[in-house]
Amino acid sequence: MPATITESELEAITADKVVDARGAACPGPLLEAKKGMGTVPVGAIIEIWSSDPVTKSDIGAWSAKVGHAFLGVLVADGYERVLVRRQK
Amino acid sequence: MADTQKLVFMVLHGPDHPEHATIPFVMGCAALASDIEVVLGFQADGVELVRVGVADGIQAPGFPPFAKLLRDFRELGGSLLVCAPCMNSRGITAADLIEGTEIVAAGRFVAEITSATNSLVY
Repeated sequence: MPATITESELEAITADKVVDARGAACPGPLLEAKKGMGTVPVGAIIEIWSSDPVTKSDIGAWSAKVGHAFLGVLVADGYERVLVRRQK
Repeated sequence: MADTQKLVFMVLHGPDHPEHATIPFVMGCAALASDIEVVLGFQADGVELVRVGVADGIQAPGFPPFAKLLRDFRELGGSLLVCAPCMNSRGITAADLIEGTEIVAAGRFVAEITSATNSLVY
């Protein structure tokens, strides 16, 4: 997935799994993302919900480190939706 | 592990310093989630952190409960090494430690640190 994915393209994605990490402090959302990623097949997309604004950069760095595709972030009501595709 | 990277965090602060006690577990969990091997080495007052019953009383503001981080760290496969002389000087025995800890001495710490990608002291 290109890094230039548009917001409308993100909005059109239906995640295979939603991980609700709202209210969790660092490293909670990252650990929940790790667990969630382990439950979906390669190619699937997970969506992490987080009320911690640092989560998107944390998940972005983690995705780059472990080899998943960070797709982008959508702003919701009081939280953010971080989308990642499992790559391996 | 997906690669051969390893981080060693030396933990020297005990329950009286909740933030210093908690941050190495935060870092350790994040590293384990990133497929990096992690060793936490407990020395000085840090050995108090792995005594049975101590974790539940530690809460650093802004961080998850220490007990949850300790549980996550173990579930993710991190190693917990405890300094034997530091235990002895505090009257701590093997029976006082939580499950999953390993009592070691300086030689083991040196081996872990010299074989690590990087080491940090908290």
